Amino acid sequence: MDKKKIARVAAFRYKILAIIFLVLAGGLVLLPKYQKQEGIKSETLLSHANSTERYISTDQIANKIINQDPSFILIDVRNEDSFSNYSIPNAINIPLKKIFDEESLAYLNQNQFDVVFFSNDNFYADQAWVLCDRLGFKNLRVLNGGLNKWFSTIINPKMPNEDMPDEEFELYSTRKAASMFFGVVYSDQVTTEDSNVKPEAPKQVITVQKKKKKVAEGGC
Amino acid sequence: MGPLIPNGIIPIEWDSIIAIFIGIVFGFVLESSGFSSSRKLAGVFYGYDFAVLKVFFTAAAVSVIGLYYMDYLGYLDINQLYVHPTYLWGAIIGGVIMGVGFVSGGFCPGTSLCAVAIGKLDAWIYVGGIMIGVFLFSELYSFFEPIYNGYFLGNITLIDSFGWNPYWVIFIFSIIAIVAFAVSDMVRKKVKKVFY
Repeated sequence: MDKKKIARVAAFRYKILAIIFLVLAGGLVLLPKYQKQEGIKSETLLSHANSTERYISTDQIANKIINQDPSFILIDVRNEDSFSNYSIPNAINIPLKKIFDEESLAYLNQNQFDVVFFSNDNFYADQAWVLCDRLGFKNLRVLNGGLNKWFSTIINPKMPNEDMPDEEFELYSTRKAASMFFGVVYSDQVTTEDSNVKPEAPKQVITVQKKKKKVAEGGC
Repeated sequence: MGPLIPNGIIPIEWDSIIAIFIGIVFGFVLESSGFSSSRKLAGVFYGYDFAVLKVFFTAAAVSVIGLYYMDYLGYLDINQLYVHPTYLWGAIIGGVIMGVGFVSGGFCPGTSLCAVAIGKLDAWIYVGGIMIGVFLFSELYSFFEPIYNGYFLGNITLIDSFGWNPYWVIFIFSIIAIVAFAVSDMVRKKVKKVFY
């Protein structure tokens, strides 16, 4: 291409640019619109759902409650009646129907605390987890086994048999201690006070004042 | 995916570093396109140089078209972008003061600093004036506060408040831009040429 041709095209450069500009702007108007998916992508949701990290065990929760760990919120997704009947201490009741209410979202959509869902088993808690995770809320967990497992492991732990390994006995004693923290009373732990035994009188200690050593007088 | 920083693709700690980098590049582009000359900037009001109008109109139109294409293709979520909050009367009064300052001084705050950097004396005076203005405003803050913090409308856009279709707004905006460029070119040819 010789210079003349280039000059001839270049004379129209602003018009060409203006046309490109209009075509691009008009393209936005003409492009077919589609409904955008809100929240996280389906693939991300799947990988979150498959992750075992989303479950928290009853032992971990019991440990956290006993140590007064302030970093998590327990959320009971059953209805109000079941909640008032029995729930884990310090749990908040957000029934599954009310999960997207204005006041519930303040608890669920935040970055400061871990949110632990539970219901009688995993079922409703998992549903709540999926609904919230899909909207991109952070730090969501599900109590593995729910209240049923809470009851069978923490409140009423099963005594291991004699042929079970040592770890089972240790776990049992930990769980038993935990259940005592939550108010369960065991017959072997109750001590009846014996009134016959008189407390021994404390021995009197007579302190002997020691004579102060004389400070060595100044010599040579 | 985007915007990059709110979605954690670039850590938030890089915020200020990126801002400094963009600021240096912005200053360089302003200087190299001649915006550190108060005569060139004032030209838009007297009709002998429309570079300011063309540059800022083009920048706005190109970036809005680019952003909406990226939003359409899913590289960016337009709803996550920062929208500057609107304080209605504060913006109107501030805009008038800024406009008067622009005509009479021949700089906007950004270009005045560029001009200071290359040693223009009028820019030194201009920036001194800005500093005096800042001082007066701070001293009289309790007096200005009702305007400064009042009439708050939130982080609104034209699209939200009037319920317009953003794509049509962009299209009409682009047509207005091209018409403005053509008209400003015609005006420039009629006005006597000024050398500076």
